Amino acid sequence: MKKAWVVAVNTFKESLRKRTLYILLVFAFIAIGASKFFSFLTAEEELKMIKDVSFSTIEFFGALIAIFGAIGALSGEIEKRTIYTLLTKPVTRGNLFIGKFLGMCLILLLNFVLISLFFIGLLIFKKSPPDIETFKTLLLIYVELVLISTITLTVATFATDAFNIILSFFLYIVGHLISYGKQLTERVENTILKGFGQIIYTVIPNYENFAIRDKVVIGIPVSWNYVFKTLIYGVLYIAIVILIGLYFFQKREI
Amino acid sequence: MYDNSIKRESSGEKLSEEVFMAIIETRELTKIYTPGRGKKVIGLNKVNLEIEEGEIFGILGPNGSGKTTCLKLLLGILFPTDGEISIMGESQFDVEVKKYIGFLPENPYYYDYLTGPELLYFYGKLFDMDKQAIKERTEYLLNLVKLSDAKKLTLKHYSKGMLERIGLASALLNDPKILILDEPTTGLDPIGCLETRDLILELNKQGKTILLSSHFLSEVERVCNRIAIFHRGNLLATGTLDGLISRYNAETLEELFVKTIEDFDSRYKREI
Repeated sequence: MKKAWVVAVNTFKESLRKRTLYILLVFAFIAIGASKFFSFLTAEEELKMIKDVSFSTIEFFGALIAIFGAIGALSGEIEKRTIYTLLTKPVTRGNLFIGKFLGMCLILLLNFVLISLFFIGLLIFKKSPPDIETFKTLLLIYVELVLISTITLTVATFATDAFNIILSFFLYIVGHLISYGKQLTERVENTILKGFGQIIYTVIPNYENFAIRDKVVIGIPVSWNYVFKTLIYGVLYIAIVILIGLYFFQKREI
Repeated sequence: MYDNSIKRESSGEKLSEEVFMAIIETRELTKIYTPGRGKKVIGLNKVNLEIEEGEIFGILGPNGSGKTTCLKLLLGILFPTDGEISIMGESQFDVEVKKYIGFLPENPYYYDYLTGPELLYFYGKLFDMDKQAIKERTEYLLNLVKLSDAKKLTLKHYSKGMLERIGLASALLNDPKILILDEPTTGLDPIGCLETRDLILELNKQGKTILLSSHFLSEVERVCNRIAIFHRGNLLATGTLDGLISRYNAETLEELFVKTIEDFDSRYKREI
């Protein structure tokens, strides 16, 4: 585990020294900052707008970093052949993969904390300090981002970058629409189609579970029970995806 | 003798007791690539190699002859389709055995956002070295490869020769017993080549076993105790330079090299 951490810190350091992260951060700040210029709205509506735009921005830019960061972290090592220098050191492939996962968690955390602080600062400036519901929303967004990143990292162990990007974005979109699919499947009478539909929405990550922002923005409280259940769902899903990634990475020839 | 060795079969799972004598040994080592659509390409064909402790062993061969495949198999980067590998009596997949190996890849690519000392610190941590040991070793090695003046430069500003030298420093970081060098002088200017050759000889004097692959015949001729000639994934000949030259009735290494390859190619065409 110690060596996994060494790999994680190096992955984190790499992202810090690349411009991409900073460019995305600047865009995120601009998006959040722009939400406060809707001066024609009432104070309450403006606050809702700030929260809505900020949550969406944190999630969207976080997803971009999660997907492209994960591809860079693993496929980048393979393409540049820097991975040879790691695999020939006394470090297991398992430690290497876990290190990449932890590195991505750190990168996402840094990006997430910076954008969230900007958002919280804006709320305080608007004399409406963040409540516990805001923090619940942010917590679930972070777990969702880690899940997105873990899936991309795992797909990188066996697929090309192009396929990985398409699949990751496809899952990101479908994972947010999955509840509609579920409703649709329930109406289907054909048992085979129904069964197939059930398998699909069990296997595809349900990102909609993490999206409590719609409720929070309009002031509907979300129970801790729901938050914990969703956290457990996220952690279990991440653990399973990591195991799949480890399996493929052990067998990967480079 | 490395009598605690393990045999890893092609499945990568079944282990059994076996006795290996050399510091690096392969038996019937085979690698078949499957690039898709049922195609099979032989990367390495039943190669038996024995590299003794303390020698400089050179792997020679034209491009695509299987040199790099052989090194990658020894280092556990690739998995053998069949055959066995023993390094210091252990499987090449044993993580612990890598503590004793230093590796310089061909055209080394490193983390270009790191400086030389940062790169060595990162690798040192992977070798479980403590901070002080890494610091001292870094000072020594950067001096050795003449990169002390470039400490603050990130690797993206390094020239090809400097990258080769930092690669050599990182291969020596753990003070390895076995040094595996894949085309160590590619990209170096004549002075760099000469310095690397001298360094290889000096490291060998210190007791390190060196396995190097190269297609520069003169380089191999000057530093290696024994050589192996590879072509189309096959090991065509192995032995001391003088022994091989007299066995193949050649006068120079160049002639020996051409003879073995042409001889193999003519047999190969007949078989087709």
